[in-house]
Amino acid sequence: MRPQALTELQLDALREVGSIGAGHAATALSQLVDRPVGLQVPTIEVIDLSAVPYVFGGPAQVVCAVYARLMGDIGGGILFLATEEAALSLVDLLRGHEKGTTKLLDVDEEDMLLRGTSILISAYLAAIARMADLNVMSAAPVLAFDMAGAILAAVAAEVDMLAEQAVFVSTAFLDENHSVDAALFFLPDPGSLETILGRLGMA
Amino acid sequence: MTASSHPVIRKGLFTPNPLAVEVGVSALVFARHPSRLMTPALGSCLGISLWDPSMRTGVLAHVMLPAPSDGTPGTSAKYVEFAVPEMVRLMLEAGSFKHRLVAKIAGGAAMFSRESLVASIGVRNVEEAKRQLAHAQVPLVAEDTGQAHARTIELALDTGILLVHSHRFGTREL
Repeated sequence: MRPQALTELQLDALREVGSIGAGHAATALSQLVDRPVGLQVPTIEVIDLSAVPYVFGGPAQVVCAVYARLMGDIGGGILFLATEEAALSLVDLLRGHEKGTTKLLDVDEEDMLLRGTSILISAYLAAIARMADLNVMSAAPVLAFDMAGAILAAVAAEVDMLAEQAVFVSTAFLDENHSVDAALFFLPDPGSLETILGRLGMA
Repeated sequence: MTASSHPVIRKGLFTPNPLAVEVGVSALVFARHPSRLMTPALGSCLGISLWDPSMRTGVLAHVMLPAPSDGTPGTSAKYVEFAVPEMVRLMLEAGSFKHRLVAKIAGGAAMFSRESLVASIGVRNVEEAKRQLAHAQVPLVAEDTGQAHARTIELALDTGILLVHSHRFGTREL
C-alpha cells in the first residue's frame, strides 16, 4: 500500500498519533529545561519524498537536520528539519535566552539541538508504539547542517529509497517568548506504514 | 588530487550559469558547448563527469548508490554501476573516441556527524566510480570527494573545468 492511498480516516489516525506525540514531547521538553515548553498541534500531510527539500526552499537551501533510523517492528527513518534561523531560535528557547542571542551553531549548540530533537523523536515513537502496540526504537540521532537536497538524498540512500513518500508533521515549539517552526518527516518503509495502520485498526 | 589543493575562487552563494542544464538526482545528461551541465546538492551522492576536449562535449551524472542492493543489474542512473558504462556509450555515440575522454568526480560526503551506516554510502560510491572508470579505461583526472559537506557542481564544456561549490568553502575550480 502506498501512503498516497490513505483515506481520511487513516490520516485522522495518524493525526491522533501526531497530537499525542506532541503532547509527550512538550512534557519531556518542559522537564528538560525546567520551564513550560509547548508544541503546536501538528498538521499532518503525506508528501512525495522528492518534495521534502522544497518544504524549505529547494535542494540547495541550507537546513539543520537530525536523522534517526527506526528499528524494531517497523523499519525506515525519522528526519527532523529546520531552517538555520529556526535552529538558532530553538537553541535560544531551550536555553531560556532571548531570541537572537545564539548566532552560531557550534559543538555545544549542536549538542543542544540533538538533545531537544531526540526528545521530539522519542515522543513520537512512544506515541506510535503505545497506540499501535508495537516495539519501536530509534538508533542514536545524528545531526547535519547543509543543503537540504544532499541531506535528503543521503537519508534516501540509507533507506535505499524504500520509502517513496513521507508523513510530514509540521509543528512549532512554543514558550512565552518564542515560536519556532519545525518539521518532522516519518519515512516508514512501505510494509511498516501498513503495519502501523493495521494495528490502529485502519488497514 | 584533493580539494585543498584548489584555491577558493568565490565565497558566498553559488549562482549557476544561465546556460547550465540541470541534472536531477539519479539522472545523466549529455550536452555540447556552449551549454554547460550542473547538478545541485550532492551529499553522499556522487557527481561523475566525462568530457571530450576536442568535441567540447560532455556528460554529467548524479548517482545515489554503487549498485542495486538485490544484486540485479541496475537500469537506472541512480547506480554508479549502470551510469559509467552508459555515459561512455553516450559519448561514443556522439562521435567521441574513447582515448580522448577524461573523468572528474565530486561528492561522496558523509553528511551526518557521528554516523556509522550513512557514512559508508559516500565512500562506496567513490570506490565504485573509480572501479567502473578503470574498467572503462577512462582516466580520472581530478576529484573532490569525501569530507562532510554537500557540493553543487557545474561543468564547462569548452574548458572542462568543474566548478565545485559548498556552503562551507565557497566555489573551487577542479
